[in-house]
Amino acid sequence: MWEKFVLELTQATQEIVRNVAQFLPRLMVTVIIVLIGWFAAWLLKTIVRSILRLIKFDRLSEDAGATQLLRKAALPSSTELLSRFVFWVAWIGFIMAGVSVLGIVSLQPHISSYFGYLPRLFVAFFLVFFGLLAASFFSRATLLAAVNAGSPSPRLISSTVRTLITVLTISMAFEELGLAERTVLIAFALIFGSLLFGLALAFGLGGRDLARRFLERRFARDTQQEEREDELSPL
Amino acid sequence: MALAATQDPLWYKDAIIYQVHVRAFYDSNGDGIGDFGGLAQKLDYLKDLGIDTLWLMPFFPSPLRDDGYDIADYRSVHPNYGTLDDFKSFLDAAHKRGIRVIIEMALNHTSDQHPWFQESRSSRDNPRRDWYVWSDTDTRYGGTRIIFLDTELSNWAWDPVSKEYYWHRFFSHQPDLNYDNPAVREEMWDVMRFWLAMGVDAFRLDAVPYLLEREGTNCENLPETHQIIRDFRARLDREFPGRMFLAEANQWPADLRPYFGNGDEFHAAFHFPLMPRMFMGLKLEDRKPITEILQQTPEIPAVCQWFLFLRNHDELTLEMVTDMERDYMYDEYARDRSMRINLGIRRRLAPLLDNDRRRMELMNGMLMSLPGTPIIYYGDEIGMGDNVNLGDRNGVRTPMQWNGGWNGGFSAADPERLYSPLMLNPVYGYPAVNVASQQRFEHSLLSWMKRIINVRRSTPVFGRGSIEFLYPANHRVLAYVRQWQKETILVVNNVSSSAQAVELDLRRYKGNILVEMFGRNIFPRIGDLPYLLTMGPYQFYWFRLRKI
Amino acid sequence: MAEESILTDDFLRELMNVGEVDILVGVPTYNSAATVGQVVQAIRAGLLQYFPRQRAVIINADGGSRDGTQELVRAASISDMQNAAHPRALRTLHSISARYEGDPGSSKALYTMLAAADLLRPAACAVISADSNIEPDWIPRLLQPVYHDNLDLITPLYRRHKFDGLLVRNLIYPVIRAIYSKSVREPYGSEVAFSGRLGSYLFGCDLWSEDLGFAGVELFLTVAAINDGFRLAQAFLGSKSTLEHAPADLVRAMRDTVGPLFWTLEHKPATQPTSSNGDSVLTLGGNPEVTLEPRRINRKRLYQMFVDGVVELEPILKSILSAGTLAELQQRAAAGENEFCYSDELWVKTVYEFAASYHKAVISRDHIIQALAPLYRGKIHTFVLENRDSGGEELERHMDALCLTFERFKPYLGELWNGRK
Repeated sequence: MWEKFVLELTQATQEIVRNVAQFLPRLMVTVIIVLIGWFAAWLLKTIVRSILRLIKFDRLSEDAGATQLLRKAALPSSTELLSRFVFWVAWIGFIMAGVSVLGIVSLQPHISSYFGYLPRLFVAFFLVFFGLLAASFFSRATLLAAVNAGSPSPRLISSTVRTLITVLTISMAFEELGLAERTVLIAFALIFGSLLFGLALAFGLGGRDLARRFLERRFARDTQQEEREDELSPL
Repeated sequence: MALAATQDPLWYKDAIIYQVHVRAFYDSNGDGIGDFGGLAQKLDYLKDLGIDTLWLMPFFPSPLRDDGYDIADYRSVHPNYGTLDDFKSFLDAAHKRGIRVIIEMALNHTSDQHPWFQESRSSRDNPRRDWYVWSDTDTRYGGTRIIFLDTELSNWAWDPVSKEYYWHRFFSHQPDLNYDNPAVREEMWDVMRFWLAMGVDAFRLDAVPYLLEREGTNCENLPETHQIIRDFRARLDREFPGRMFLAEANQWPADLRPYFGNGDEFHAAFHFPLMPRMFMGLKLEDRKPITEILQQTPEIPAVCQWFLFLRNHDELTLEMVTDMERDYMYDEYARDRSMRINLGIRRRLAPLLDNDRRRMELMNGMLMSLPGTPIIYYGDEIGMGDNVNLGDRNGVRTPMQWNGGWNGGFSAADPERLYSPLMLNPVYGYPAVNVASQQRFEHSLLSWMKRIINVRRSTPVFGRGSIEFLYPANHRVLAYVRQWQKETILVVNNVSSSAQAVELDLRRYKGNILVEMFGRNIFPRIGDLPYLLTMGPYQFYWFRLRKI
Repeated sequence: MAEESILTDDFLRELMNVGEVDILVGVPTYNSAATVGQVVQAIRAGLLQYFPRQRAVIINADGGSRDGTQELVRAASISDMQNAAHPRALRTLHSISARYEGDPGSSKALYTMLAAADLLRPAACAVISADSNIEPDWIPRLLQPVYHDNLDLITPLYRRHKFDGLLVRNLIYPVIRAIYSKSVREPYGSEVAFSGRLGSYLFGCDLWSEDLGFAGVELFLTVAAINDGFRLAQAFLGSKSTLEHAPADLVRAMRDTVGPLFWTLEHKPATQPTSSNGDSVLTLGGNPEVTLEPRRINRKRLYQMFVDGVVELEPILKSILSAGTLAELQQRAAAGENEFCYSDELWVKTVYEFAASYHKAVISRDHIIQALAPLYRGKIHTFVLENRDSGGEELERHMDALCLTFERFKPYLGELWNGRK
């Protein structure tokens, strides 16, 4: 009986060794891929970083206000962040590729969906980035216009604009990533809609007199203005 | 003997006229002064050139203090130029060659050496007293302009003999005849008849605006003057049909119009105001002065004609231009003050145009294609120069230059005996500019003049036709259409010194082929699009329009 | 060069008919029918009276008017085609009009005129705006120095109210005087004359793809003339036209002028050796005068807008101004209207910091210009207060003082420009 056990054990061990022997090369390939991958990702990161430095990405992101956000979160600069992000995405990709070599069937769909997901990730990323850029630009433009026109509470208008655009952008990004699409959509619609409704109400009620005077002037040809501009001409 | 009266009574519309000083043309008797014998000898030259009418400067006996316009005897010939018989021979010779002759008739005034004036001034009771205009004071007809500004201070001169003032619109030695006196009028007609009977074809009546004076007027162009002219004309038509009266009246075209009457006064008149504007247009490189004066030129009766000229024996007159225009002309054409006289410039054609052959051709081209009869001043066909150092306007009256030899072939006399010094400088002197050398070459100015006269004479359109200006947007191009009966001719002139492109609106003449008249080459047919022509500096085209 | 020519076939044909000229007068228009008629007639009268023998052309560059502007310009032609011939005109005078593509008011108008000048080769050019109140005798004042005396650029001098043209007085003029060492009072007038030489030079410059606008190009022209060795002078003309419509929107005015000024500082660094006190520019025909009639000015509003600007625009100003300058501004804004004074020194630092930030484009350049507007209003408040009772001489002294301050701080600008910030 002992011999049978030993034989079985030996057979089982041989089996395992054979399997491992079969498995080992694959593992080795995987390891090699992972190592190459690390190197490639590092190279990519360096290249991306140089490119970003060349196009003064930092400045752009400062413009977008992203830098400030990052700083608040005690994160490194945008260039650095993006480069590192690229590194990780690339390396994980290589790791995935390596793992797929191992032939573990159950992991395959996840691996392919990872790769499938990458483009959408990048799109979302760009959306957010340029969205933030636009929000910053337009909010600044509104701020300046409002201040120069002498409107009351220019900051409010400006931040409203910024919020609106940011919210819009983030919603679009979420939709792109496929995260809680419908929730985000509805939430966005609600926020946007109610904001506008509120504005309309405010302007409608508050601006009643103004609207009346505007219409009167337009259609009744009233020439006298209440408060005249200065008699200054800059040019 | 006159040319047959059955010949065209409108001969003056087709004429090519050559203005000449007898004394300046050719001396046949070696006394240093040109004469009728000499002129007769040169008629072949003129015929060859294409001339069919001669206009002679005054040749009557005269003290010659106004180049012959101060006449001392109306029925004779100054001995310098020959005898009356010499004149008759010359006249016959001219007629034999089909050349008509226009002579001067200075009606308005005589020389103070004329027997009439001698008698008139002798005493206040003389029967001829009334033949001139006398006055106790020099204040009558005040406000009348003085014509010879450089020499005269008043229109009245004091006569020490009869102790009265006499009226003279020109030099003080040229007293005005009194046309209020019927005897004067009769006598003057008699004078004219004398010459007409001999065969003279036409008279240039000098200084006609000034015949009569009336208080309170400017003493020019008075209605009574016109009546006198009408009378003369009526007699002319009755007794000598086919002869012509030519008016010399330096007036604005509108003021000239009355001299044509209803075709019952003058047959023809000089278009004075056009001439300085041609020169002005050339310097400005802008056709505007030319078109404007022609726009302002009134219609004249069908039998009447404008006579056109570039230069003549007088100064290039700037009377009929604005002050600004006169200043411009002085600055551009007569910077040297010695060239200015009275209100004009005393230079010949070639020096005025800087001896530029192209400009001379262009000006002659316009002369020959604008509506009217062209007059060529002697010597301008070879491009003679002028001598501003000779007094008065004598600088443009130097001897004709026939060849490069003795006295330029003008006279066998000693050079010192000539009536006027010859031109000697290397540019305009007779060795450089003369008929003989120019006859040798096809490209000489003389040869070119022959050719253009030939083309001009090939059609009556230029002399008789209507004119319609085209106004291309390029203001440096003067373009017009001449039409008569079935013939249409397009003339395009580039009055600028640089090459030009011009688009002409010829839609009215659509379908016509253009045939250039000198080379007779075909130019493209006129279509719907503007007709593009490119022209070299000072170039001109004459196109015959043909619909085939 | 653009693939499509700026010269349409029709315009080119008109230029062909005009031919070479001695004098070219350009009038840019857009729906200017109310005023362009008088302008063109005054130009015509001036040319006829003072340049009767010269070949001249009036060229109108129009931005697409629909009110008959172009016809009004063409009506000023003198030619033999009209039956009522002009009795006192020696020559034909062409008055032609061309449409240019693009916004009205852009530099395309001037570019069209310079293209025409390039072909017609005038010795002297002038540009007159469509709403100028030009008199015929302004034509010789502008053109004779160029045509007869061989100068290259004539900028105008006017009789103006002391409170007119404050942007020029307080910013444009002092900066140009400090940086380029020439006291050009009106670097972009509504009337200016320049030689054909300078016109060709400007035509060949690389600024046409940048949209500097009309005033911007004229400003560049002035600076280019100073910088690149052309001879310039100023000519006194008369009273500057008072615009009957509402005064120009300040922001638009600043965009049209301050923006190009900063752009020019960047593209045309000063080459002349600097001399203190600014080389004076030859002045012809009299000195500029100042009229003093009372004007209603809402100082409180100016102050209010300044304060609002400083407060609300803080995040933007932080990226433009240095910390010290911003702090000082905030301090003064908090001081209350009666104690408020925007000193010359502070203003100079403000302007220079803005110029440097513009150069570095820390944020969008257009926004930088807009951000300057409220600060400018603050400066004007002080200016108006200081010069409330000033006559011409005292005004001059104040302006000289301001200019000297600008000059004194030039090294500061240099540091900022080259990156100390």
